[in-house]
Amino acid sequence: MVTGGENLILELIEALPDTLPGAVAQVPMSLQLRSGDFFIIECRSTSWAANFADICCGLWPLKRGTVRFFDRDWTEVSDEYAADLRGRIGRVFCDGGWLSFLDMQTNILLPQMHHTGRPISELRAASAALASDFGLPGSPIGLPGKLAVSDLLCASYVRAFLGEPLLIILEDPLKTQFIEFAPALLNTIMRACTRGAAVLWLTPGDVVLFDRSAPATARLRLTERGLSPRALK
Amino acid sequence: MTVPVPQLRHRYRGQQTLAAIGRATRTHLFFLLRLAAVSVGVLWDAMRPSTWRRSVRTEFWRTLRHAAGGGLATTVFSGALVGLLMVSEALFWLGRAGEARLVGPIIVTVLVRQVTPLLIGLILVGRAGVVTVAEMSTIGPAGQQRALLAQGLDPFTLFVLPRGIALALASFTLGVIFVLVALIVGFVVSNVLGATQASIWLFFDGVVAAMEGYDFALFPAALLIIGLLIAAICCLTGMSGDGSDQPATVLPRSFVRCVVAILMINVIANLAAP
Repeated sequence: MVTGGENLILELIEALPDTLPGAVAQVPMSLQLRSGDFFIIECRSTSWAANFADICCGLWPLKRGTVRFFDRDWTEVSDEYAADLRGRIGRVFCDGGWLSFLDMQTNILLPQMHHTGRPISELRAASAALASDFGLPGSPIGLPGKLAVSDLLCASYVRAFLGEPLLIILEDPLKTQFIEFAPALLNTIMRACTRGAAVLWLTPGDVVLFDRSAPATARLRLTERGLSPRALK
Repeated sequence: MTVPVPQLRHRYRGQQTLAAIGRATRTHLFFLLRLAAVSVGVLWDAMRPSTWRRSVRTEFWRTLRHAAGGGLATTVFSGALVGLLMVSEALFWLGRAGEARLVGPIIVTVLVRQVTPLLIGLILVGRAGVVTVAEMSTIGPAGQQRALLAQGLDPFTLFVLPRGIALALASFTLGVIFVLVALIVGFVVSNVLGATQASIWLFFDGVVAAMEGYDFALFPAALLIIGLLIAAICCLTGMSGDGSDQPATVLPRSFVRCVVAILMINVIANLAAP
């Protein structure tokens, strides 16, 4: 079992996903992610990363085992409460996860507008501040289809970190090519970890995976045999 | 014992035909069941105050603005045309025939009970329904549904419910505007042509007096249900795509379903009138 720091945020206990072969590891997986933890997990592909993220969020059925978030078993809470719990998880999706018919501002603020009562002006200010951390002049505007891939990527970081989530799951956040965003992203991750959040960085092979200076508390590998520690060469 | 080949082929064809009929029946029945479930779900959830979170309210106002505001010009123009072609003609010819007392009942029967729900339904399908299908096709199982659920956002609560309520209200609003415009334009034209000498208030009074008690319930109910069904059909058709569906196949399918639903509601509303 892989363990980390203080308060338990995410716990996989012998979780065996109910899936077709090839979708994700078909062996029981165990993981403990505590507040302040920053785990980098090497996955076989982006789809494995997305599926593992779904397992962590209670969106993937299990054959056996348990996935607990903030000490709550996903299968034991009501759908409504599970949705509210997912509102405390920030995610960067490998396919963007943008609604093409909503403008970027609404796309970014939508989860916060749904799950919190924070004033819109406050949310806008927070998203603009986060956007500037990632090198954008302000919070992106316009429809997602009109934005450059790099801007969309930055906007997905803003959405994931907005509202100080307890858990942040990043599915292939650098897309293996936008290495220039790594320092800003790592700084934001460190700030999140300092305030008590936990971060999962899932990647099929980013430069961060091999970077000793990346402040990860654990480096793991997700293969057909499950989760195992990954040593730096 | 061996079965002769011609018999086998015959049985095989028969089975294929039966299977095709069964498949089509099941598909349509399944869609009808889902449509009923979504419509009832929208009404049920809309009554819970906890449903109307800020994001849902925002989506509701956006859809209402688009459907009612966007369809307003078309509704006014259509209402004016119907007033010009139908109301003024009725006033003119019935006046000539000395049967002016029939103006109210004829306008109520044709304009209020039959033409308005039909035309408003078609305007809503063109104005808001098509947009809804296009938008919902991006959040079906093959779209961004996973991302929405992962953020704790229920596509039904966030998109289907506000669209159902917004289109129902837009349908009723546009229906009332359509009737008013048709009556006013019809009256003004027939007045200009010298077909009627009465005041507009007397004309309105005649129309309202010709309406039965059930008209005051059936007219809004038909419009509200038509709006709700258009939203539910368009959302279901859009979201049920498996990713291989193209707009060229999804849009006509939703249009036909909407037209059938509008006609069905129109027929039921007319049959429900004693």
